[in-house]
Amino acid sequence: MKHITLSIILAFSLAACSSDDNPVAPEPEPDSGYDFSPILTDFSDKTVIPTYKDLANVATELLTAVQNLKTNPSAATLATARAKWVASRTPWEKSEGFLFGPVDFSGFDPALDSWPVNRTDLEGVLGSSDPLTKTSVNNLANELKGFHTIEFLLFDEGGSKTIEDFTPRQYDYLIAATELLKDAAVSLHTSWIASGENFRAQVVNAGAGSSTYTTQKAAVQEMVNGMIGIADEVGNGKIADPFTEQDTRLVESQFSFNSLLDFQDNMRSIQNVYLGGYNVEAAGLDEFVKSKDSALDQRFQAEIQAAITEIGKISFPFRDALATDAAQITAAQQAIATVQQTLEGDIMSLVLAEQ
Amino acid sequence: MLFSFACSSKNPVAPTPSEDSALSGGQATVFDASSQAFEMPIPTLSPDELDKFFAGDTAFEQVFVTAPAELNPGLGPVFSHTSCVGCHLRDGRGRGAFGSEPPFVGSMLMRVSLPGFTPHGGPVPVPGFGVQLGDRANFGVVLEARVQVSFYETTETLSDGEEVYLKHPIYTIVDAYQPLPAGVLLSARMAPPVFGRGLLEAIPESDILALSDPGDANGDGISGRPNYVYNFRTGQRELGRFGLKANNPDLLQQTAGAYNEDMGVTNPYFPRESVSGQPQHDGRNDDPEILQETLDITTFYLQTLAVPARRLWDDPQALQGEALFESTGCANCHTTTFKTGNHSISSLSDQIIHPYTDLLLHDMGEVLADNRPDFEADGREWKTTPLWGIGLTETVSGVPAYLHDGRARTLLEAIMFHGGEAEQSREAVRNLSKTDRDALLAFLQSL
Repeated sequence: MKHITLSIILAFSLAACSSDDNPVAPEPEPDSGYDFSPILTDFSDKTVIPTYKDLANVATELLTAVQNLKTNPSAATLATARAKWVASRTPWEKSEGFLFGPVDFSGFDPALDSWPVNRTDLEGVLGSSDPLTKTSVNNLANELKGFHTIEFLLFDEGGSKTIEDFTPRQYDYLIAATELLKDAAVSLHTSWIASGENFRAQVVNAGAGSSTYTTQKAAVQEMVNGMIGIADEVGNGKIADPFTEQDTRLVESQFSFNSLLDFQDNMRSIQNVYLGGYNVEAAGLDEFVKSKDSALDQRFQAEIQAAITEIGKISFPFRDALATDAAQITAAQQAIATVQQTLEGDIMSLVLAEQ
Repeated sequence: MLFSFACSSKNPVAPTPSEDSALSGGQATVFDASSQAFEMPIPTLSPDELDKFFAGDTAFEQVFVTAPAELNPGLGPVFSHTSCVGCHLRDGRGRGAFGSEPPFVGSMLMRVSLPGFTPHGGPVPVPGFGVQLGDRANFGVVLEARVQVSFYETTETLSDGEEVYLKHPIYTIVDAYQPLPAGVLLSARMAPPVFGRGLLEAIPESDILALSDPGDANGDGISGRPNYVYNFRTGQRELGRFGLKANNPDLLQQTAGAYNEDMGVTNPYFPRESVSGQPQHDGRNDDPEILQETLDITTFYLQTLAVPARRLWDDPQALQGEALFESTGCANCHTTTFKTGNHSISSLSDQIIHPYTDLLLHDMGEVLADNRPDFEADGREWKTTPLWGIGLTETVSGVPAYLHDGRARTLLEAIMFHGGEAEQSREAVRNLSKTDRDALLAFLQSL
């Protein structure tokens, strides 16, 4: 603020001095810092909103698949439903690099992704004669809904479930829970778009009327914190918790064995925020970093890629790797930690140094 | 998955404010204006303390489920939410609604009691309900009751003609599994922010008591009374600091009570289910459902959450507002500055902090009264709310909700709801010019 005030005073005094015979228009106020507008706009329009749009689309496909599973129960329709579940995880995991805004404060995250599943209550509901409609399942707690409840119903432990294991009530529950998942995904998308609750405007207009982010810097800090958050969560939570405890019960997406892909997609989420765009070219934070320190930009891009590669080298499935592949798990954790450190140190420092 | 956000293991290079006023938490200040502003560890924690902080962070976000379960058993039988962070959104203010129905995003609970006091001096439990309504329940368990809220509106006209609309809640108990006795006392409360609490715990008791003026000896219309509450661990009567009526002596008891009452998770401090003796009891012999270690690390986490720096600390409008905050008398209760004493966590010791609370009870008038005494707090008294970080409420929690039950949608509404001992200050704000009023609000938003 001091800096801005000074420049205004300076501009005025210059104008005053040169006012008589050689009038000079007051110089435009020098740019008080990097203009993040293109990055914030593309982040909203080309990364966040398309990710949520894809999530809504794939969730709709998943619903069709589980409806088809009930109508035509077979190993093939079960395989399709499982594949669609896995496919629907990708946009979700790729959204976890920006777990702020409506996904957080409007409760979409717990509605979609609560963990652990409340299996005791789920067994109770399935064993009861309560109706299993969208409305009745909606009234149940988040720990009886969302991705992991659907995962449990489709896969059971390590995919051990076969089509013969399904009961009629499980089909009904599965369909109701998936309808709710789809609804939540659609609402999440709507919460950002201009024709919906328009959280987009809070981000795009940061520092220019946004009540959530009174400066652009705050919005960019939010983006960097989002990336730090997921790097931390993958390295120090999703991987470290089960690895340190040697406890497979702590593994995310353990029923489907989808954990490693989840982790990689989380890192790709960082990549999308940093480079900009969900399967499309866009302005990302890299443009800002490059303008300040091109070597840092190159290094960080390589670090993200290295983390994705190192996670990919962990032997499948992750729950077995806990005991058998410690060296590679450690290597992956280190690569993720490097990403986190660069974000927390070099990149956050560049952001905070902005006016 | 609700997941850990408090991840920055080091405080990134901070701008160096030349004014101490920006450092709301002294050395326990962080420079973050994002939705994670309330979730950061104190930057001066040692590596060991930081490990403990992160373990506590995980515990704070742990989602409980019905026992038996491989992971996180112990939820219920009745509860308000399934995790701490479910109500204390990103460690900030909750949502001003009850969360007993989908999408379960409310952050409020309803305390209940009968008139009178227990031998410990606390609220008298309601037979069949205890001291808090369990408005959610595990499958197959009948919930105790739900709360329905309706509103009516009043208008406050400011001296320049601007109108402020105040939304007043009316709470109705519905779906009670058995009738509540006549004369039951109710107190609706919204989850408050939880950062900076270690610093508040470290304020010397004598400095708090020095501000109290129970009989209003100085005739300024403001009393300021300490609450004295029961410490269940020491069996002593102690100064209350935490809870909206200063109804808990320390963070450990506050935390243990919240596990037990808000999530139905029994613990070594409160090992009996909140529904003991009621038909909802699960009959399981698994208490306590969490270990002392979990209680301790969660408490440590709350003690070591940093305070976000004040923003725009040298902005002329905010500075003008700061002067008005003093001259209108707001600062008479929202005490600007304390120095902490010694605390077992060294980062909390000897810090100059700006919490904007005196931790004392004040009569807030009939409109805000819950008419439910809580230890020595009477039915019109509330503890002064700390205002540090309040300008980041919308950033952290989405939809802002202020005051004990979240009824105020804006800071100006919150001010105009003030009554009782704050009446003079409220009227002073009513009479400010628009320029001054905007400056006052700009100051609050800078916190």
